[in-house]
Amino acid sequence: MAAAALVRFALLLTLWVALAGDGWKDLAPGVAAAALGTWWSLRLLPPAPLRVHPAALAGLVLRFPWQALTAGVQVARLALDPRRRPEPKHVTWAPSLPPGRARDAFLAYASLLPGTLPAGDAPDGSIVIHAIAGAGSAAAAMNEEEARFARAFGLDD
Amino acid sequence: MTLLVDVFTVLTVAAGIVFFVAGTAGLIRFPDTSSRLHALTKADHLGLGLVVLGLLPRAESLGGVLRLVAIWGLVLASSAAAGPMLARLARRGARGG
Repeated sequence: MAAAALVRFALLLTLWVALAGDGWKDLAPGVAAAALGTWWSLRLLPPAPLRVHPAALAGLVLRFPWQALTAGVQVARLALDPRRRPEPKHVTWAPSLPPGRARDAFLAYASLLPGTLPAGDAPDGSIVIHAIAGAGSAAAAMNEEEARFARAFGLDD
Repeated sequence: MTLLVDVFTVLTVAAGIVFFVAGTAGLIRFPDTSSRLHALTKADHLGLGLVVLGLLPRAESLGGVLRLVAIWGLVLASSAAAGPMLARLARRGARGG
């Protein structure tokens, strides 16, 4: 717990310094904010063991700009081309990750990926996905991304 | 070199603005709340990412670079947290629940 608190405090303080600068005058409220943020994050998200696979995580991170580009271009074409219309559909998708923080984190990540926006649980326990360009390959894309995500954070062992 | 940097900045920031315009067009044109969320998140994320990318070479220090990247990261994180919540509420609202 102490190690997790220290790591989170250091990360939050680094973020503060990145945003506000490292002047002494700015550092005092930064230390207070980082301490408060650490305390709150430990309450909301108690530390849990993670088996990060660095290569797979690097792949996930490096792939993200391309995903952001694909997602943005897809939406921009639908929005700006008068011959195109979005074909929004809700599709259900059965995740492999069990309910919990890992699944929630993946669903948040998936909301940034092309064409898919998780929209809550279906009555049968699967996840409803809002697919903007038709149902087509939304579930397959979710399966593929979930496998990558699980591999990066060692959730598939 | 300075001219190249200027051209890079102008081109990427202009491209970023195009995606912001696309996001706004999607907000107006798209038929349902969740589709509008796609527009407001995905197109605007790319727009902001391009604006940040264009401004990176103009940062005066490493702190400036970190600040720009942190802004993009914070916007992505807040969208990733809020987007699925709003989509869930929109679906419930559409079902009348």
